[in-house]
Amino acid sequence: MEIFTTLIPYILRGLNITLSVTAIALSFGLIFGTLLAIIRVYGNQALARLIAMYVSVIRSLPHILLLLIIYFLIARIVNLTPFWAGSVSLAIISSAYQSEIVRGAILSVPSGQMIAARSIGMTRKQAIWYVIIPQAIRHMIPPWSNEAAIVIKDSSLVYILGVPEIMRQAQYYSGRNPTKPFNAYLAVAVVYFVLTFITNRGLDALEKRIRIPS
Amino acid sequence: MDPNKNVIVKIEDLHKSYGQEEVLKGISLDILEGEVVILVGPSGTGKSTLLRCINQLTVPDAGRVWVRDVELTDPKTNIDLARQHIGMVFQSFDLFNHLTALDNIMLGLVHVLKMDKDAAREKAMMELDRVGLANKYENYPGQLSGGQKQRVAIARSLAMEPVVMLFDEPTSALDPELIGEVLVVMKNLALDGMTMLCVTHEIGFARDVSTRIVFMEHGNIVEQGPPEIILNNPKLERTRQFLGKISDLH
Repeated sequence: MEIFTTLIPYILRGLNITLSVTAIALSFGLIFGTLLAIIRVYGNQALARLIAMYVSVIRSLPHILLLLIIYFLIARIVNLTPFWAGSVSLAIISSAYQSEIVRGAILSVPSGQMIAARSIGMTRKQAIWYVIIPQAIRHMIPPWSNEAAIVIKDSSLVYILGVPEIMRQAQYYSGRNPTKPFNAYLAVAVVYFVLTFITNRGLDALEKRIRIPS
Repeated sequence: MDPNKNVIVKIEDLHKSYGQEEVLKGISLDILEGEVVILVGPSGTGKSTLLRCINQLTVPDAGRVWVRDVELTDPKTNIDLARQHIGMVFQSFDLFNHLTALDNIMLGLVHVLKMDKDAAREKAMMELDRVGLANKYENYPGQLSGGQKQRVAIARSLAMEPVVMLFDEPTSALDPELIGEVLVVMKNLALDGMTMLCVTHEIGFARDVSTRIVFMEHGNIVEQGPPEIILNNPKLERTRQFLGKISDLH
């Protein structure tokens, strides 16, 4: 009974934050990552090389280390709450991975699509927006689903900044009930599993829904 | 050539190289209103490059191109605006894969010509009907045969009301039994008076509908003239040899 009266409310208080951190990291990461990918594929060479470097630096460092570095960098410039600083840091990390996903998806659209779009008088921007991106999105979903699962789990990293997401809540709980640490961590494991499972299932369904009939 | 007719496409001393290899070695060619010009020649002689240099999908190294009175090689020209009225049909069809046949045609009408959706839909249906595919309007490219795809691609270009249509080997990627339906559409287009420049090996089509055959080799125009002369009595032995070879094949 104690589980329902104390443990679950504890965890649920953190769930909101876990979901928010994940949503911010994924959505800002997607917007920023898409922008980076478009510049890298269609933009000028120097900028593209710079972005390639940015992506390779982020991809070669542990996320927890990046989180700390970005957090302290951000803290020097603006005064953000740990919640926002953590979420933005995760968004920046995810943007590097997502830019690779979007880039791969754009490159998988046959080159004739751009040429055909330009041949009817579309500008490059129109061709990217109306012809390339809608097709790229379809190629993007499976790898994006993978990235979403990673970010859901990475949202736990903000606990080192003191943000009370579910991991942090579980730790509080275990601290106060030292005889039953297992319950709290098991509950958190179930929550992560359910979140990831639902997200992946949802994206699978989306992929089927927007699949181009053939 | 009839001096009373308007020049639609004017190409002047066009040069293009890829690395060390010069693909176009100073091509000049005028196409008059209503002409159907067939471009033939061995592969790798710059026929497709020439076509793409007209609408600047490939930017030539030197030389000038006009369509109507607009110089496309002038850097001040708004090339997107100019391309709106130069139709192009590709060997690989290149329909927009994520759109139905109808939406493929509507996309340019709505976003390039800024037509309102209802008018665009009506126009697109008309163009589909013109290529005999009105009943396929809801089909995606993946649900169409190669010949049908190419007919939709032609309709997509025609909807923009081009002053000239450029065909880049429109039937080369098709199964033999599907070539006919595309050629019928092209023939009707020619009979309607469309100005056309067409890279093809379909000699029968050239004989039936073209007003001029241009034989290209190694980046130069070797010989040109009316089909009955080029096909039956060319001046050059090389032209006869080449046309003889592709006639045997088709």
